Amino acid sequence: MLFLAEFHWAWLAAAGVVGLLMGWVGVVHRSGGLSRRGLQWAAAVLLLAAASAFARIVPGRFGYWLDLGLLMFAAYIIGCAIGAWLRELVVADHRSAS
Amino acid sequence: MRTLLRVVRKWWPGLIPLAILWGLAAWFSTVPFEANLAGRTALSLRETILDKTRIEAAGRDLTVGADAFSEDGRRSSIAIAEAVPGVRLVHDQTRIVDEAKPFTWAAERNVSRLTLSGNVPLPAVRARLLEASRGIAGGIEVADQMAFARGVPPRFEATALLLLEQLGRLRDGKVALSDTSVRLSGIARELGGREAIAAALRNLPEGYAVAENAVAAPPYIFQVNKDPVAATLTLGGYVPDNAAHVALIEAAKRKFLNEKIVDNLKASVGAPAGFVDAATAALGALSRLSTGSLTMSDRKVKLSGDALYDVAADEIRTGLPGELPKGWHAEAEVSTRPPASAVDGTVCEQLFTELLGHGHIRFVSGQADIDNDSRGLMDRLVEIALRCPTSNLEIVGHTDSDGDEATNMRLSERRAQAVLDYMLRAGLPADRLHAVGYGQTQPVASNDTAEGKAQNRRIEFRVR
Repeated sequence: MLFLAEFHWAWLAAAGVVGLLMGWVGVVHRSGGLSRRGLQWAAAVLLLAAASAFARIVPGRFGYWLDLGLLMFAAYIIGCAIGAWLRELVVADHRSAS
Repeated sequence: MRTLLRVVRKWWPGLIPLAILWGLAAWFSTVPFEANLAGRTALSLRETILDKTRIEAAGRDLTVGADAFSEDGRRSSIAIAEAVPGVRLVHDQTRIVDEAKPFTWAAERNVSRLTLSGNVPLPAVRARLLEASRGIAGGIEVADQMAFARGVPPRFEATALLLLEQLGRLRDGKVALSDTSVRLSGIARELGGREAIAAALRNLPEGYAVAENAVAAPPYIFQVNKDPVAATLTLGGYVPDNAAHVALIEAAKRKFLNEKIVDNLKASVGAPAGFVDAATAALGALSRLSTGSLTMSDRKVKLSGDALYDVAADEIRTGLPGELPKGWHAEAEVSTRPPASAVDGTVCEQLFTELLGHGHIRFVSGQADIDNDSRGLMDRLVEIALRCPTSNLEIVGHTDSDGDEATNMRLSERRAQAVLDYMLRAGLPADRLHAVGYGQTQPVASNDTAEGKAQNRRIEFRVR
């Protein structure tokens, strides 16, 4: 996995940037977002994919693409978290100032 | 927690550009990633001893195929592939090379190629055998038809290298191993090569034995070429020793008066019995040809060329086998040179004088028998006589002053008559020839010295 991340660092960085932007925007976005059921489905799919990757049951190139997808998703989530955190900091400063 | 979930729920729209990125990454990275993985695996396996290594990558999974030389080698090569960073799974398609029973190996050389075949235990051994083969090939192509196999007997490499060294001593032939049994066949490159091989085989590594040594000695070659244009007589090949060398060169000087002798002879053991006698007889036959070559190969004598006239050609063809020692065979391919143009008597006499200026007709000491060494000269005299068919010839015999005068007179007459008889046998008409002897009465040099006496013992031709 480490080598995979090293080899695809540019793509992971891009996924991270997308996540950063999404996290930044998500804090102040007014829409309701994903429904509870939708979130559950997403978690289930994610778990299934991760389990398949760890069990190495998806063969050849599909297995590689799955690993790559999970890595990029992880980078995206981390980016989202950082983006959201930074935006929260900015918003909190703004509130305290006003 | 509720706040966190509220925020996370809003992150899903980013999944759309993420999915696009994922697709692009998969599209652009898959092939380079696979090539990188296969390349690094091949690099890691470079130190392992494998044959026919094949590495295919599908995503992070590798298929490794190879011929290994032991179970340990096979396992360790898979372990090395599995340890390459980035590799997820390794599909093992390696196998162990087959065991050969018996373990055979052979090297064969002919004029154009040296071929290695049979079994070989390891790539390093194969490389060393090929290198040794190129060392002895002398520029000819080296073909490698060896296949890897297990079951090699101990000390195989040392034995194979020793046998390759022996193959270098063969002009063509084969060396072969079947387990620990050694076989050799072929013809040695040089005289003495067969003995050198036999001696080297005594140093075979322990456990190996010679099952068959059918290496033959090369033929004992003696070659002479007479080139009338360059006026050279070139002798090549072998003579048994220095004494024989000197004897043959002296014989050549006596028999060939006009030609410059080019001596390329080398001394070597292995001459067949009667070699010097056979070579001397064959040189005598060659001296009668205007152009020709002589090749002696072991006990076979081959003479080819052009005689000066038909009778001489017949005599050479029929006479040569009888002159050779017992057990020798002769093959004479002698034709007759087209007759030279006719000339008048004056030119004829000039030609006789010129030819006899190179050397005299030799006779057996105190007798009237023409020495065999002078047959070449006699044939040239006959050829000149045939060129002036309208002239009469007087053959004049002279002696030195040794012995009493009457005996010398008779000897000179008999010697002139012997020359006349030779010419009659050659086909010249008797009415054109007349023999006369003057004994010691007409010396051309002082009889006080051996050199002068030699000049006085002579036959002269006068054209009338």
